[in-house]
Amino acid sequence: MSKRILAAAALAATSLGLAVPAQAQQRIQFEFWYGLTGRLGEIMEEHCKRFNDSQTKYEAKCVGQGGYDKAEQNTIAAYRSKQHPTLVQIYDAGTVNFMLSGATYNAPDLAKDFDMKIDWSGYFPGISNYYATSKGQMWSFPYNSSTALLYWNKDAWAKIGKTKGPETIEEWWDDIRAMKKAGVECGFAFDYDTWMPLEQFSAIHNLPIATKNNGYDGLDAEVMFNKTKFADYMKDWKKLLDEGVARIQTAQTGKTILQAFTDGTCASMLSSVANHGVVGSTAKPGLNWGVTKLPVYKDFKRHNSLVGGASLWVLQGKSKPEYEAAAAYIQFLLQPKEEQWFADVTGYIPVTNTGYKAMVDAGFYADPKRQGREIAIESLTFTPPTAVSRGIRLGNFTQIRAEIRSELEAAFTGKKDVQTALDDAASRSNQILRRFEQTFKGKQLP
Amino acid sequence: MDRRATFSNLWLAGALVAPQILLVIVFFYWPTVQALYWAFSTQPPFGGTNQWVGWQNFQQIFSDAVYWNSVQVSIVFAILSTALSIGMALLLALMIDRQLAGHKAYRFVYFWPYAIAAPAVGLAFRFIFAPDAGFVSAINQLAPNLWNPALKGWDAMLLIVIANSWKMMAYNFIFFLAALQSIPRGLIEAAAMDGSGVLRRARDIQIPLLAPTLFFLLVINITESFVDSFGIVDITTGGGPARATDLMVFKIYSDGFKGLDYSMAAAQSIVLMFLVIGLTFVQFRYIEKRVHYA
Amino acid sequence: MRDAGMIERAPLLNAVTHLLMIAGLLVAAFPIYVVFIASTHDLPTVNRVPMPLWPGDHLVQNYATVWNKSDFGAKMINSLIVALGVTIGKITLAALTAFSIVFFRYRARMLIFWAIFITLMLPLEVRIVPTYAVAADVAEPLRWLVWLFGFELGIAPINLLNTYTGLILPLVATATGTFLYRQFFLTIPDTLVEAARMDGAGPLRFFWEHLIPLSRNNMAALATIMFVYAWNQYLWPLLITTDARMATATMQLQKIVPGPLFGQPPVWNEAMAATLLVMMPPLLVVIFMQGAFVRGLVATDK
Repeated sequence: MSKRILAAAALAATSLGLAVPAQAQQRIQFEFWYGLTGRLGEIMEEHCKRFNDSQTKYEAKCVGQGGYDKAEQNTIAAYRSKQHPTLVQIYDAGTVNFMLSGATYNAPDLAKDFDMKIDWSGYFPGISNYYATSKGQMWSFPYNSSTALLYWNKDAWAKIGKTKGPETIEEWWDDIRAMKKAGVECGFAFDYDTWMPLEQFSAIHNLPIATKNNGYDGLDAEVMFNKTKFADYMKDWKKLLDEGVARIQTAQTGKTILQAFTDGTCASMLSSVANHGVVGSTAKPGLNWGVTKLPVYKDFKRHNSLVGGASLWVLQGKSKPEYEAAAAYIQFLLQPKEEQWFADVTGYIPVTNTGYKAMVDAGFYADPKRQGREIAIESLTFTPPTAVSRGIRLGNFTQIRAEIRSELEAAFTGKKDVQTALDDAASRSNQILRRFEQTFKGKQLP
Repeated sequence: MDRRATFSNLWLAGALVAPQILLVIVFFYWPTVQALYWAFSTQPPFGGTNQWVGWQNFQQIFSDAVYWNSVQVSIVFAILSTALSIGMALLLALMIDRQLAGHKAYRFVYFWPYAIAAPAVGLAFRFIFAPDAGFVSAINQLAPNLWNPALKGWDAMLLIVIANSWKMMAYNFIFFLAALQSIPRGLIEAAAMDGSGVLRRARDIQIPLLAPTLFFLLVINITESFVDSFGIVDITTGGGPARATDLMVFKIYSDGFKGLDYSMAAAQSIVLMFLVIGLTFVQFRYIEKRVHYA
Repeated sequence: MRDAGMIERAPLLNAVTHLLMIAGLLVAAFPIYVVFIASTHDLPTVNRVPMPLWPGDHLVQNYATVWNKSDFGAKMINSLIVALGVTIGKITLAALTAFSIVFFRYRARMLIFWAIFITLMLPLEVRIVPTYAVAADVAEPLRWLVWLFGFELGIAPINLLNTYTGLILPLVATATGTFLYRQFFLTIPDTLVEAARMDGAGPLRFFWEHLIPLSRNNMAALATIMFVYAWNQYLWPLLITTDARMATATMQLQKIVPGPLFGQPPVWNEAMAATLLVMMPPLLVVIFMQGAFVRGLVATDK
């Protein structure tokens, strides 16, 4: 009897349009923290909104943390106090910390427990290998993924009669010097970031950054980047700087490499494909530019480049409905339609082969404004990943990056000789690794 | 500093301090004691069991050249910005106190920088002093890289000193002006009648009477530049180039919170705290004794 | 007749004084002016070297963009609540504490003074992780305190993250105000206390009827200091508010200027517009409270 009244009331409410807010209140909510900022941060919000609008059962509450590093730090602080989100976006360098944390609800378990349809082998090998454990399982879901490219100014290259970007590093240097003679003041802008010169460079040259296969085989790895071709690469950079054909451009100098490239000051830069969209929208009118794969030294065989960006981790200690909602969210992100929308507005690459194929078929890459983005996929999948081109698995890698960065600053500003700086960076990095090993005594990399 | 006439109701005295003490215990001492424990152990980022390591963290800090660099950088920063901001503030306050035409309008504006948040100050100065954009870049047209805080350590240091002094200057100015205005006017007039000039009066009467304020400001400025300069560094130089502006407090934050090595950061915090306590103690002991409260 | 400069002639010195005052004006106002100018141009103009020194015509557009993009209205209100909460809390607690330390005779008073004073020396940045843990469950230290006195109490966890209380309380637990009040109370002549006691006033009446009125200006000064201090907090709100509805205005600065990730260029015109928005309220307070502020710091010789 009373049931029937309720049903009637519900029906009446629906017809009056009252059911929508009532239902919204019953939605299962879960929290998602992300690290991206600026325009990319806004896109995160939009992605969330698309999910919330696409169904009525779940509601994602998305919270920007103001930077990848802050997303990681805040999540850890929150986890210690049991105030953490269900889902969090963690950048590549934080992967080891989360793997060893014991705080995660791992992707395969989540997929199994909530019946998610995930084609694990559909991920690009360059991506899945980077994030996988030694047993080949990914514990997190790759999300926004990118790789590095050489951005080059076609007008500047035209001045030396060339219509193609450089293939080898030697060719690149020759071009820069020739352009200087032809009146291009700055052929190459760089900063102190390690992702391009160290991590990507080592991968495409198949060079180790650390022993034990870049740390994949154990926490007792030691860095060795100061003894590889990377050291010569950095010496080359310093030489270009001294010759006055390349420049350091950072936010502190007033213009980032990106600004220096888009306003035409400098003719080339190394940057993420994720910036493809930004370069397109901020380039000064009439600037002719293109992208090409990162150049390699001519004595080396090219290998695949590394994936960068972030993956999504699910954390322990939440309720079953929250996990269910998070699983639905991840499933939503993996739909080809969503992958394409996300890739379109950002410049990030799709993470699965299926998504990529669908986009190629849809003519996504034929659009002139996206021209060159497929080169990122080409670079990422150039060879099957080797033991060292698969990725880097070093404890506290964020801090290692910071050490190298500081030493590169010292080297490029002339405070230290390049080799000394790299040796110092290596010995400090090894201290960090030993410290990490001590803090996680008795733990093994999964 | 002991008073002759004081109350002696202990319960009341206790009740009056209780709320503040409770807050300080909960939000200061409790976390600090935890940090102290971390300083003698290794604290895993996600929590869990610490291993007691004794003095190892401290040994590691003190044998680290990068740490000593940050100590050195902090001392240089503290001395330069305290001297600059107190010097400028004192000068401006003495000028304003002469009460020439228009002094009120000037005074009005000198207050402004005090109100502005460190990140905002940092952003504004980063923009103004950027070598490729902004304003100071004009001098780079004379010779390339004449000014470049991204490449030159001293330029970067100068940048954060200027930004910090600018902010502190207003604060110091307010206090100096207040102190100057509390000097009995008769005293100065009498000296003027006796034929002592403006500069002489400043030296013989005003500055000595400013001593308590100067003392207070010295304590505040030095402590602030040691412990409260995070916002400016974070937004302008990020500790670089090549650690030229890697202040102790910035290093603690970046080692601990960014580098997730809470224990090493905790050990550094303890050292910083003792340094500042020591400094303040010396100031109290040797300077306050010579200062007469009016 | 307060003007000492009037009773003598020093034209050269006066000229130097004026010159210095003008220089000081430039130093103090120019950066703020630049922020304002940069917020009135479009991005390419702002990025020109050197940037023009006269206002452009994008003022309304820039401010509208920033205001809408970050929902600044709500954030300003949050900042206001936090700043007022800190100001009122601090004025009250600091006055009570300083009163106890200065006017009561007991052995622990120097100890208490130092215990509070030391909080000046270890900033939030360096103990942020344990402080965050306290904010996540403020009952934990209380449980320990109770335990220390030999009791065992099951106090339920109290979570202060994403609350105004959590934003306010840790900022009240600092020493600045206590120090300032102490300095002021130390200048109160003993004779005043004696006189009050002669009249039969107890400590509370003395506090309420003599000290409070005397320290009105002092309070105004402290209120200004605390308002500015609380409004300008950056790292603490950034950490403990994960709910956008609790975000403060100063935090927004960071969101508007993208991080160094992949070298995205700062959108300077919008960043400067946001900077000016964030600057305004404390600036207004300082401007408005100026008179009382200076009087408050003029400790003696009324």
